Amino acid sequence: MSSQKQGAYGGAKTGGDTHRKTWDREEYAQRAKDHDHKSKEESKARYEAALAGKKYHRRASTPPDVRATEARQARLDVASRVGTTVLVGASAATGKRGKGAGFYCEACDLTFKDHLSYVEHSNSIQHLRAIGQSTEVAVATLEDVRNRLLWLKRKRDEEQRDVVVDLDTRLERNRLTEEQEQEEKRRKRREKRKNKKKADDDNVMKYESDDDGVIR
Amino acid sequence: MAEPKFHKADAKDLLDDRGYRGTLIRGQNPALLMEKGVRDRIIDSYYWKEQCFGLNAATLCDRAAELKFIGGTSGIMGKPTPFLCLAFKLLQLIPPKEVILEYLNFSGDEGYESDEDRPKEEPRNADDEPAARNGDGSRILDPNAEGKLGEFKYLRCLAAFYIRLAWEPVEIYTTLEPLLTDFRKIKRRTKNGFQLTYVDQFIDDLLTKDRICATSLWKLPSRANLEDLDMLEPRESPLQEEADRSDDDDGDIELLEREEMEMDRDSDAGAGSSEQGD
Ligand SMILES: [Zn+2]
Repeated sequence: MSSQKQGAYGGAKTGGDTHRKTWDREEYAQRAKDHDHKSKEESKARYEAALAGKKYHRRASTPPDVRATEARQARLDVASRVGTTVLVGASAATGKRGKGAGFYCEACDLTFKDHLSYVEHSNSIQHLRAIGQSTEVAVATLEDVRNRLLWLKRKRDEEQRDVVVDLDTRLERNRLTEEQEQEEKRRKRREKRKNKKKADDDNVMKYESDDDGVIR
Repeated sequence: MAEPKFHKADAKDLLDDRGYRGTLIRGQNPALLMEKGVRDRIIDSYYWKEQCFGLNAATLCDRAAELKFIGGTSGIMGKPTPFLCLAFKLLQLIPPKEVILEYLNFSGDEGYESDEDRPKEEPRNADDEPAARNGDGSRILDPNAEGKLGEFKYLRCLAAFYIRLAWEPVEIYTTLEPLLTDFRKIKRRTKNGFQLTYVDQFIDDLLTKDRICATSLWKLPSRANLEDLDMLEPRESPLQEEADRSDDDDGDIELLEREEMEMDRDSDAGAGSSEQGD
């Protein structure tokens, strides 16, 4: 495969072989340590629960900063990956551990084959937990809606103004270039005329000088 | 019971036919207002998964403001339009009436800092539009005809579509009829392309057709029927008044002009008006 080409998935190329995982040793070491720590704590809790004659339940930890799921503000960047959709089974949404070729979720360290399974993943409870969001969305009040619409209108008005300003500057620029070009043409024409005239004059002079003193 | 403060980000509850415990519309799960096949294609669509997940009644406006056309489904695969997906989302959210009315009639006027910033009433050529007139010949200001209400016209159409699906007959007539003087152009996705139409045409379709935007509309009692039952006052639109008055003065010319306009419109809209069901 030519290394000149951009990766098939539109990502920055990481060298000749984009399919090879690039291991970040430190990161992986830290992750292993965390995992180790967590499982030790868990087994301790399980042990204590067993001693007390109770069944151990892993605590569904709710991070203090759980935010209501935010509506995605911007489209995921898939436009650059158009044409990579693959028909896959439902199991594809589980993803592959680690960073690979495809659509990578940094928060969960999972890679997905296509944008559809990636977006399915990003809607999953697993992912929302990983990024500290809940699966609940706050109900909007009338005031929320009105404020939103006012904001959208302002945004749209500004964009339209920008377009107009943009158009104006472009027209102005065009006008200037046109003037410059015309000035340049005029200058060239003048030059040419001058040269021609000079040449003519020279000819005349030459002619005259030719004639000068020669009487036929 | 207190109003719930949260929605589910996804639509699992809505799609659970037996387990659904949310608000009912006409005694049934609101999801059933759309057809099974269409529903399935909506929830399988990329737009639904990416753009409709986690929306509430406010953030939905972001999407609606980006809409470029109305319509149901398109192509051989019957791909649902963003318009239809958002309508389905509304059936999940079931926003309160005042929110739907805000979608429908938002004017954006509060956005002006002072009266000076407010756009001035533009004096227009009297022949421009079949605008209604007072007895003294001055124009009756119809904010719908002026395009002053429903600033985001596709959001307005979305709300109107939702109202037709989810509200009661009398409310449907009284809320939607004023929009019959909104003559703004809109685009409609058809099976194979696009078609030019108008807000008032779409509203008229909602009130009179039994199928639109890939959705069978439940049978709406006719206006005459509701009038007979004294549930509705006879409708007096500004245009109707004008037409009545026109009858006894120089109305012939005006009527002719209006007919011409209708004809223009028909030719504008193209021959595709028979495939309304798309
Ligand atoms: Zn994730």
